[in-house]
Amino acid sequence: MTDETSNPTPSTASTPTSSGAVMSDATVAGGTGEPMITLTDVDKLFGDFQALKGINLVVGKQEVVVVIGPSGSGKSTLIRCVNHLEKHTSGTIIVDGTELTADIRNIQECRRECGMVFQSFNLFPHMTVLDNITLGPRRVRKKPKAQAEAEAMELLEMVKIPEQARKLPGALSGGQQQRVAIARALAMQPKVMLFDEPTSALDPEMVKEVLDAMQSLAESGMTMIVVTHEMGFARAVADRVAFMADGEIVEVGTPEHFFTNPQEERTKLFLSQIL
Amino acid sequence: MSDDFGAVSAQEEPLYGAPRLPEGGTGGVRAILRDNLFKDLKNSILTLLFGAVLAFIALRTLRYLFVTARWEIIYDGPLSFYMVGKDFGRTGISYEMLWAGIYVAMFTGGIAAGLGNRSAGPAMSLSARAAMIGGPLFGVVFILSMTRTITPTILTVGAVGFLLLGSQAARRVRGALKRRLGLIMLALVGLSFGFITGFDPSNIDLFGGLLLTLVVAFAGIGLSFPIGVVMALARRSSFPLIRPIAVGYIELIRGVPLISLLFMGQFAIGFMFPPGASIPGPIPRAIIMITLFSGAYVAEVVRGGLQSVPSGQIEAGKALGLSPLTITREIVLPQALRNSIPALIGQFISLLKDVSLLVIIGLQEMLGIIDVVLARREFTNQGYTPEAYAFVGAVYWTLCFSMSRAAQRLETRLGVGTR
Amino acid sequence: MAVARTDLARSARPPWYRDVRVMRWVFQLVVVAVVVTVLWRLYSNATSNLRASGLPTGFDFLDRKSRFAIPGLQDSASFTVRQAFIAGYLNTLRVIVVGIPLCTVLGILIGIMRLSDNLLVRAAGTIYVELFRNVPALLWIFITYLVIILQNLPPLSDEVTPFGAFVISNRGVGIPWLNPDASVLTFIGFVGVAMVAVVGVSLWRRSVTDATGRPSRSGLYGIAAFVVVLAIGNFVAGNSLALDPAKVNGRQVGGGLNIFPPYLGLTIALVLYTASHVAEIVRGAIQAIERGQTEACQAIALTTFQRYRYVILPQAFRIMIPPLASQFLNLTKNSSLGVAISYVEIASIFQRVSNNATPALQALVVLMFFYLTLSLGISLIANLINRRLSLETRA
Repeated sequence: MTDETSNPTPSTASTPTSSGAVMSDATVAGGTGEPMITLTDVDKLFGDFQALKGINLVVGKQEVVVVIGPSGSGKSTLIRCVNHLEKHTSGTIIVDGTELTADIRNIQECRRECGMVFQSFNLFPHMTVLDNITLGPRRVRKKPKAQAEAEAMELLEMVKIPEQARKLPGALSGGQQQRVAIARALAMQPKVMLFDEPTSALDPEMVKEVLDAMQSLAESGMTMIVVTHEMGFARAVADRVAFMADGEIVEVGTPEHFFTNPQEERTKLFLSQIL
Repeated sequence: MSDDFGAVSAQEEPLYGAPRLPEGGTGGVRAILRDNLFKDLKNSILTLLFGAVLAFIALRTLRYLFVTARWEIIYDGPLSFYMVGKDFGRTGISYEMLWAGIYVAMFTGGIAAGLGNRSAGPAMSLSARAAMIGGPLFGVVFILSMTRTITPTILTVGAVGFLLLGSQAARRVRGALKRRLGLIMLALVGLSFGFITGFDPSNIDLFGGLLLTLVVAFAGIGLSFPIGVVMALARRSSFPLIRPIAVGYIELIRGVPLISLLFMGQFAIGFMFPPGASIPGPIPRAIIMITLFSGAYVAEVVRGGLQSVPSGQIEAGKALGLSPLTITREIVLPQALRNSIPALIGQFISLLKDVSLLVIIGLQEMLGIIDVVLARREFTNQGYTPEAYAFVGAVYWTLCFSMSRAAQRLETRLGVGTR
Repeated sequence: MAVARTDLARSARPPWYRDVRVMRWVFQLVVVAVVVTVLWRLYSNATSNLRASGLPTGFDFLDRKSRFAIPGLQDSASFTVRQAFIAGYLNTLRVIVVGIPLCTVLGILIGIMRLSDNLLVRAAGTIYVELFRNVPALLWIFITYLVIILQNLPPLSDEVTPFGAFVISNRGVGIPWLNPDASVLTFIGFVGVAMVAVVGVSLWRRSVTDATGRPSRSGLYGIAAFVVVLAIGNFVAGNSLALDPAKVNGRQVGGGLNIFPPYLGLTIALVLYTASHVAEIVRGAIQAIERGQTEACQAIALTTFQRYRYVILPQAFRIMIPPLASQFLNLTKNSSLGVAISYVEIASIFQRVSNNATPALQALVVLMFFYLTLSLGISLIANLINRRLSLETRA
């Protein structure tokens, strides 16, 4: 057990965690210490199959939580529950003070606060890159067109593809499409970004450009939950790493602890298989 | 330890204030009703509105079927007119022979169904199963309720028995017999056709009603199949002189209505026979035109099937050193035809509906028989028209609906479009 | 080197009967020869048979008198066959022009109903589709015309006249229509001005939306602009734009526009029948849009309406065009079934012409020619739209 200075990123280092240990508690917020997303006893059933079993997790403001685990362990289901793409069966999910219930107003409220990036990009193929990005700000946030487009261009600068603004998504490479998807999610000015295996559908040479964009986003203080298989990213960017298996969160800890000194047998087995 | 946190707190303090949704399997009928009918205000209004409209229509329909409709136009029509036409007696074909033909046909159909069913598809939901069986069953019961004796009902049940027998036979058959199943089925079809026509094809000229509809539709799809395959291959071929012929035929036929082709059969085709040649009767002429018509549509269906075969298959064939003919016959066509079976059934359903156009050229298929029956002294000018059309509509609906459902089922089984 | 290569080519050259290039052409020429021979035989048989029966072999019959009347057309009895064919062609067009938009609207409505999350709405859509598409179009035409229209419309003596401007009777349904005294040019002019106003208003609304983000509601504003402009126009033109009400005029419906029962029966039946097919196309196209598109919309918090308006329908529309065009073609071809209920469209004209000792063969060629123009026209428009809407993708 070491003190908090072993945490690699400054945002967490400045925050006293409850246990004061690298082997951290899932229910204590990292980041600034204020909770942004709180999941309490969340269960999710698909028919008879229990995809999530009693998930407890608190993500603090400005914290980056990377969720790893074998396929089918419920990682994607977890973040899809956070913006209600899947309805959780029981338990509570609170996003920035708003509880996710069946109330459509709460759902829309939570979705406005959460940007989501999908494995398969899900860009709208019939709209230009610029229209893809401005659709939400104009129709949901009711922004004037000129303002929405100016902000979209800033975001495209940030993800380093301003020259693609007038093209259709089909004309872009996978890595460029995923960066557009990130820009589209950011255009809603969300407080949280959810990434569902953002690099899994990409050719190897395009993975880095997407991860770079995500890293600079994390450094700007965005709260993020990232489901990924990129262990290098987890090690470099995550404040905390959560390992999931069979619908449960098995272990949560700082990357350093996690990759050097895992406690649980299932974690060790998983890490030995991929590293 | 963080990982047993969830389990412990869930037992200590069950926080079930959050939405509990019926996906979990709890809730039962009430939850299903709420989610499907009364989810919110808009949904509830729609439920009440559509509930009222549907209830009104259902009541009116039931009242018509069981109270107001005068079905004597059907069972005193007599029913045999609708089924086999008014001149069937003059063919000298006994009903035993006709039923034997139907049984052989059902048996053959059963074999085909059994072959298609071999690959187990995804399980059907209960409601889908009910719709698939319930609708046609209701139709058949309605049609059989028009018969005066129990014999046709028993014979119909027997026909279904032969269908099941055929599908069982297809599953059991092994070895040499199985390899020649295609030939056997072809022979059975010929035998069935022989029984139904009393081994004299010229009897077809005296057919009418449903029998005429079915004979023309089956002859049309059967005869047009080879035309369609050849035309589809020609259209997809790399022969610059042959492609335009296929394209011209297909697009010309698909660009004009069937009725113009049937007019051609009745008024013009006689002129194209060599002088002095004997010209076939109106029904064979209609079959010729329907075959030409259907050929173009079958060609497009088969072309779709050909396009569904990945180009890698052809490349693999070439890599093995097979000749283009062998590649087409042994690799491309079997896959293409298998993939086009559902669409072919769809084409057959269209054809069955299109055969109703024969009434316009004065042939007595089911719609034509209505005029014959309504002209009889005991029915004329007494407002029997709705019942007659309702009955014929029910026959068509039962046939087309059950076949389209079978085609849909086959489509999911074969996985067409999913790969 | 050059010499060596030529030698190689010459030695590698197979005998002609094994040469792929030669045999390909031999095969094609044989096929073409067979096809041409068969067609030539049919043609020469036809001409000699026609001559033997004393029938003309040319198309001169088009200029003969048709000797039958077309309902709704004065002095049609003195038409030539050519004029009769054109009149029939126009009647066919009347069915298509009204039928295609109506069946599209109804089909889209029912297709969306089949995707509703309300069980009863879904059931109503399913019942409609399964009922209409599993019974022949011709039977629906007979049912709407013989059973519903003829048996329920009152005779002219007991006509129903809603609002004093419509006439409902078994000799026709009269609806208010363009005043015959008004100049058509004035009318078209004012409608044109109104259209310009609608375009202007929607452009203005769009700029307001772009500038402020407020919803545009251009449909509402557009309709208002249209009505206002036409009302002003009517006032300026001295009330001559007002529609002429239908009324009973002796033994027929006069004034307004008289819709004959066969037209009504044919169009209604074809719209109902074709809509069931259109509904399936719409449903299939919407379902073909990947689930990810819906999820992406939800993730940026679009409402259900916005999702359909901006993302799902624009994409579904692209998928729908080719099958929709084929359904429009079917409606066009099925309009020939009007012949069964004596609606005088082009196939009926053929039937009447061929009953009058004209050579059926040539009359058929004319009939098919007219249908081919319609089919090609519809295919051409569909192809143009399809090409404009197709999306570029990286190969």
